[in-house]
Amino acid sequence: MIGILMIAAFLILIVWNGLITFYPKQIEVIHLNSGKVMAGEPIRTESFKIDPQTLQKLPTSVREAIKTGDVHASRTLYKTGNFDLYNEDYRWVTAFDIKRSDTPPEMVIVERSEWGPFIGTITQLELGEETIVDPAAIFSRLPDAHREANNRRDAIQRLERNEIGGINHLMEKARLDLRRVTLKGDMTLATLQAAQQKHDRIISDLQKRYQELEHQADIMKAEDERFRIALADVENRTKTLKLSGIVRIYPANTLSEWQKLGIYFSRWWEFLTAEPREANTEGGVMPAIFGTFTMTLLMVIVVTPFGVMAALYLREYAKQGRLVSLVRICVNNLAGVPSIVYGVFGLGFFAYTVGGIMDSVLFPERLPNPTFGTGGILWAALTLALLTVPVVIVATEEALAAVPHSLREGSLACGASRWQTIKYVVLPKAMPGIMTGLILAMARGAGEVAPLMLVGVVKLAPELPIDGIFPFLHVERSFMHLAFHIFDVGFQSRNSEAGKPMVFVTTLLLISLIAIMNASAIYIRNRLKRRYLSGHF
Amino acid sequence: MQQTTTEKTVPIPGLRRDKTVKKSVIWADRLADRIITIGGILVIVAVLGILVFLTVETLPLFRSGQTTGQFRYQLHDPPPVILGAGMDEYHTLTYMLLPDGRIRVFHTRTGYEMNPLHISADGAAITASADSMDQESLALGFSDGTIRIAATSFDMSVIPESDLPSGLTKIDDVDQTDGDTVFSRITGDQYRLIRFRATVEEPIPSSPTGQPITNLAFQSSGEAERQTRALVSLDKSGYLSMNRVQEKVNLMTGIKKTEIEDIRLPPLPKDIRISVIRLSELVDTLLVACEDGRLFRYNLQNTATPVLAETTRVLPAGQTLTVCEYLLGSQSLLVGGSDGSLNLFFTIIEPQMGTADKRVMVKAREFTPMTAPVVRISAATRGKTFAQSTTAGSIRVAHATSQKTLLTMEPQTPSPPLALLLAPRMDGVFYLSQSGEASLVQFSTPHPETSFQTLFQRVWYEGYTEPTFTWQSSGASDSFEPKLSLIPLIFGSVKAAMYSLLFAVPIALLAAIYTSEFVHPKIRDILKPIMEIMASLPSVVLGFVAALVLAPVVENWIAAILLSFILIPVIMLTGSLFWQFIPLHLTARHGGIFRVIGAMLLLFVMAGITILLTPGFEAFFFQGDFKSWLTGNTGDALPFLFLILLPVSALITGLFYSRFVNTWLMTIYGRNSLLAASVMDVGKWVFLSVMTMGVSFLMARIMSRYGFDLRGSLVGTYVQRNTLVVGFAMGFAVIPIIYTIAEDALNSVPNHLRAASLGCGATQWQTTIYVVLPAALSGVFSAVMIGLGRAVGETMIVVMAAGNTPLIDLNIFNGLRALSATIAVELPEAVKDGTLYRVLFLSGLVLFAMTFVINTVAEVVRLRFRKRAAQL
Repeated sequence: MIGILMIAAFLILIVWNGLITFYPKQIEVIHLNSGKVMAGEPIRTESFKIDPQTLQKLPTSVREAIKTGDVHASRTLYKTGNFDLYNEDYRWVTAFDIKRSDTPPEMVIVERSEWGPFIGTITQLELGEETIVDPAAIFSRLPDAHREANNRRDAIQRLERNEIGGINHLMEKARLDLRRVTLKGDMTLATLQAAQQKHDRIISDLQKRYQELEHQADIMKAEDERFRIALADVENRTKTLKLSGIVRIYPANTLSEWQKLGIYFSRWWEFLTAEPREANTEGGVMPAIFGTFTMTLLMVIVVTPFGVMAALYLREYAKQGRLVSLVRICVNNLAGVPSIVYGVFGLGFFAYTVGGIMDSVLFPERLPNPTFGTGGILWAALTLALLTVPVVIVATEEALAAVPHSLREGSLACGASRWQTIKYVVLPKAMPGIMTGLILAMARGAGEVAPLMLVGVVKLAPELPIDGIFPFLHVERSFMHLAFHIFDVGFQSRNSEAGKPMVFVTTLLLISLIAIMNASAIYIRNRLKRRYLSGHF
Repeated sequence: MQQTTTEKTVPIPGLRRDKTVKKSVIWADRLADRIITIGGILVIVAVLGILVFLTVETLPLFRSGQTTGQFRYQLHDPPPVILGAGMDEYHTLTYMLLPDGRIRVFHTRTGYEMNPLHISADGAAITASADSMDQESLALGFSDGTIRIAATSFDMSVIPESDLPSGLTKIDDVDQTDGDTVFSRITGDQYRLIRFRATVEEPIPSSPTGQPITNLAFQSSGEAERQTRALVSLDKSGYLSMNRVQEKVNLMTGIKKTEIEDIRLPPLPKDIRISVIRLSELVDTLLVACEDGRLFRYNLQNTATPVLAETTRVLPAGQTLTVCEYLLGSQSLLVGGSDGSLNLFFTIIEPQMGTADKRVMVKAREFTPMTAPVVRISAATRGKTFAQSTTAGSIRVAHATSQKTLLTMEPQTPSPPLALLLAPRMDGVFYLSQSGEASLVQFSTPHPETSFQTLFQRVWYEGYTEPTFTWQSSGASDSFEPKLSLIPLIFGSVKAAMYSLLFAVPIALLAAIYTSEFVHPKIRDILKPIMEIMASLPSVVLGFVAALVLAPVVENWIAAILLSFILIPVIMLTGSLFWQFIPLHLTARHGGIFRVIGAMLLLFVMAGITILLTPGFEAFFFQGDFKSWLTGNTGDALPFLFLILLPVSALITGLFYSRFVNTWLMTIYGRNSLLAASVMDVGKWVFLSVMTMGVSFLMARIMSRYGFDLRGSLVGTYVQRNTLVVGFAMGFAVIPIIYTIAEDALNSVPNHLRAASLGCGATQWQTTIYVVLPAALSGVFSAVMIGLGRAVGETMIVVMAAGNTPLIDLNIFNGLRALSATIAVELPEAVKDGTLYRVLFLSGLVLFAMTFVINTVAEVVRLRFRKRAAQL
């Protein structure tokens, strides 16, 4: 019962924290007793124990009030943003330090693509030659201007990433081609020179093209520079930044509920589709979702045939003797071997041994930079496949064992061969169980981090494992993973407080993914059960 | 629908049918046969291959050195005395410094003589030399009492084959020479050039009387622009002087300025025969060793006023000192005696011994004695490996910490050594005897520093006051020695697992008993999947919640949590006591649901009470602050002992009660009405709890009187990420597993047993405790074992919530570092095939073995249980 209460409390904690994270909060401007002014979103309030020294320094009235409430005082954590100005973005404020606080309507939150959010007011807007100072005009012009700025930013990004990136890729390819020729050993001087010339030609062509594109990008950037916004914080320190460097801007204190919902959902959309910013503590998790998905898919592709085959062998082919029961104990046991051990094995065997051999045979021109000889999505998938194979074997075996012997005997008596019996009689009947095992394996694979940390998960992958460059699926690349994202943001970022909301949202996403998988396992099992029960037999 | 398909497939009888089986069917069958058999076996082999692979990866850790090449030759015209020698890292060239200022350079593998170099010193002969730790400069002492510093280096470069000059002399298969430079062919049709160079600087006057220098110690430090050199010299008259030479290059003018500072050393006794002087790398210690085994240690940390800190003996009386040499890092000193013994000393902090700097030299290790005195030691520049050679010329290469012998070699003809050189990469040793017999042995020792002892036993490391189990895999400086004891990690894993089981087992088992015995099957069908959802929660989520949410909360409310451990059982018991007051017809009708709701309400009530009581509780027991009580500064041991002993004394009073009072009380109950009996029950309970407290207090009093304090062992200083938090989080991960298996086991106890027991008049609780639980015990045991297996290997929770401090400390409020967490944190950064890498593989293997044993036990017990359950 405590167990259930614990789960309930746990799930509520995660779901609640995950859901409210993106909902816009009010900005409070706080006037402190010391005369300082600060602005921020209240994050949470807690009561804490005051140490005697601090207590002594407090004014008597405050001290008496606290003493009656058994030396606990309340304090609130404010997200003040403006990291570039303050060098901190969260600040604790004790309740007795606050003189008064209010929520002025002109305060805005500016989510920037660098340096985190800015909390303050807009002082002016520069749109090319035009400069707008009037607040009403600023707010009416801002949405359009911002949209245009975003378009410009996207165009620049597209140019830099796709076209210039493509050229870089081609240059690297030319270099590798040349290296491959030189490594071949038995070349003559002529072929070597020809290869060198070809390489030089390609490179010079590409360089020319590269410079053109870069020039183009520079022009666009210069144009972009002309659209700027000037901001000021509550202490009137100003900051001017490019309009295109802004992700979202809204006056937090004057929003209607609908507008808040709009921002809420746009943030969710950003979270699901965009790439991470600010050392993963902001932006989206699209690459992580993508990486998790691809890796799990690869894992299932590997684990299915092997797991089912092993179970078929154990149940249908091998003689049921002492050996098989020993093997069965081993397999059951392996399901209990810590995942990190599989990670160690994956790193040592797949990445370093197999990958190392593959590199020296297939890609000698890229050495000493490893291609397969380091962690990658393929190795991660294989490691997890090994990890989940016992799960699949056990589930499949149980499903096979549940198929009545009379069915097999009937089929064999009809003249069907063993394989035909398995294919047409046993497997369909056992399918629900097998599917369940597979989906459970997927759920486990999606939530497992420890082995992945060793075999290819990175905090920020430069490229997705699938893209438009041949051969489209790059199984050697490292990737991002939702569960690792949680670990990384929560524990390895600059400020764990800044990462916390992100961690909660990612956790919510991961848990719902796994819950959906588990639920679908149950659903498929029930559905198939029904179908096959009422089906052929 | 079904009808039609059957009609289609069933052939009409009487028709002639083709009886041959289609070829494709046979082929498919055979193929499937093969593939499935091979695939199946392959999977099993692959899975078992993990074990093999891990073992193979870790085996090199325990291997000693292997000889890879051996070169023996007779050196032409061997000199009688060598003052200094050196070898390059590819075993190509060796130089020997001779007293007349000549430096002979020869090819190490063949003895081919290169053009010699000369050090001119205005006619004075070289009488002593010392090299610095980095082996890039050499201090030379001359017969006229001056010292010069020579920079020595092996210059290396690589050229393509096309740049190779013509007219070279061939030395062997690989090497050619022009007399000064050796050209070695390396892979990729390239040549490596190696050439020895030596340049001598201006003399530094040292001996005030101009006596020949007999002994010299030298260290240099600092960058090229601001070099500091420390020199200690002993001249023939026995005068010991120390100079600090500072070279300053003016960055503006580029003019070099040399400052020589004379440091006055406190005098030594007059009647000693100094054998060796040694200066530590950081120039903070000067050792003067006498022939009779006396050792004088100067502390030079305060350069202006050196202190003669300690006088000690490093050899038993009657023995002569034959060799005295620092190892890398200048902390460990190897001392050899005339009986062939070799011991390792270092200084530790020990204020009681009364030395001037509160440090004292201790003998930390003894090496297996050699048959003859050790006269030469060559210490490695990486790690603590050293080579030693006896007067008879036997050579041994060993590691100082692991005491592993890496290589031994006996000469063809016993002859005292002239030179002994351990190659810079620790992959070769060069030996030259006085008879001119030279040999170079190349060997490979991938992991000299690990042995069974360093991994699993106490090791006395430099600077530690006693032998310890230590895990410290990386350090800041080059001379840092990795300390790779697996014991703290294993301890951490076990500690985390134990504390989490302490939390998880009661909850999981009670929950399993509750759902399998007391709840309607319909409710069970809801409860069980919910518990199973808990099992699929990713551990990274649990770890993150534990570390970022739970840990601060627990830190703030630690006293409340402690209180709630006591209050939960108390409140629950009280609740069940008052349950009796509810009329029987009501409880019988609405029992299940009401009981659940009531219990939930009680929990909330308990939470409220806990929060209300906490300040008072903390003030009453722990002087108002539990955490400061934990540090041991305030209060005494009694209160906590009292709390800890409560369950024990409850057990004692319970036993006492059931043994002596129960039957008597039951007969009295029987005579009274239900209500009266309930009231009496309450009275009994109050009496029992008072008695429990009394017993507990008494025991605590007695124990604290005898100085028994749990602080420092079971509890101690509070750390935010601690074992308690890990226990909570890991308990969360383990509860569903234990619960599911235990519930299955309880469920599979056949119903007729329950029926029989209930029929005999036993209550439901009695049936559960005396009939069902014993029958299912082995299943429940295997559930706990499997839970343990999972807890031992759990990674993310311990990485995130355990603080990762490798301590051996039972304290529940301190952090720990588990095997799995260490692997996860350190393996990504470990160099492939390096020592740390293999040690981490070994950790993986240990983890694998631990869980494998635990799981196998659980599995065997489970199978036995299944068999027994089937028989019932």
